[in-house]
Amino acid sequence: MSSTWREFMSWNKYTQIASRALRQALTETDRVAAEKRAAIGVRYQLWENGQSGEQNYVVPPAKESGSGTPPV
Amino acid sequence: MFASRFAPALRALPRQASAVRMARRGYAEAADGKLQLSLVLPHQSLYSSAGVIQVNIPAATGDMGILANHVPSVEALRAGVVEVIEENGQAGKKWFVSSGFATVHANNTLTINAVEAYPLDTFSAENIRSGLADANRVLSSSAPESEKAEARIEVEVYEGLQAALAK
Repeated sequence: MSSTWREFMSWNKYTQIASRALRQALTETDRVAAEKRAAIGVRYQLWENGQSGEQNYVVPPAKESGSGTPPV
Repeated sequence: MFASRFAPALRALPRQASAVRMARRGYAEAADGKLQLSLVLPHQSLYSSAGVIQVNIPAATGDMGILANHVPSVEALRAGVVEVIEENGQAGKKWFVSSGFATVHANNTLTINAVEAYPLDTFSAENIRSGLADANRVLSSSAPESEKAEARIEVEVYEGLQAALAK
C-alpha cells in the first residue's frame, strides 16, 4: 500500500499524528507523563507601529490554568 | 650494485606503508571499531555518542541493519522498532519509535532523531486494540480522504505495535 498521506499533509504533520497515536497506546501512568510533554501551546501577538496587540492563543486551552503565569 | 639500489628502496618502503596506514584511520573512528550512536528524542537522549555494534532501524523504504563504517545515508523512519545491539552476543535493546530520521555520517556515527520512542513493555495491548478499532472505523466510514489518510497512519502505528509485541 503506497503511503497516501503525502497527498494531504507534510512530514511534520504525519509525524505528529503517528506520535499522537503512539502516546495513546501507552499504559496509563506513562501516558499521562507523555501527554504532558506533548502538549504544544502557541500564542501570538500582533504588533503595529511599535505597539503590541492582544495576545491570543492559536488553539484556546480547554481549562483555565490556576496560577495565570504564561507558558514559557 | 643491484643490492645497493634495492636497499634504499627497501628502507623507504616501511615508512611509506605506515604513512598510508595512518591516513586510512578516520578521525572519529574509535579504537574498538564500534558504531557511534546518538539516539535522541526531544525530551530525552537515549544514547549520546555511545559505541554500539549494530542498530536495526525501520526505514520507510524497508528495515535496515546499520553496522560500523556504513556508507553515509539519510533514511526517514516509519513507526517501528529500533533495536540496538551494544555488545556482540548480547540481546538487542528495543524501542518502538513513532517517526523520525536516521542519518549515517561519514565518520562512523549514526544519529537517530525520533519524536517518541518507548520500550516495548510500556504499551498496553488493550489501548492498542481500541485505537486500532477506532482508526478502522474511520477508514470504513464515509469520511473525507484526508481524514482517512490520518486514520491509515494510525492503523500503521497500531499494527506495527501489535506485530512488535507479538514477537
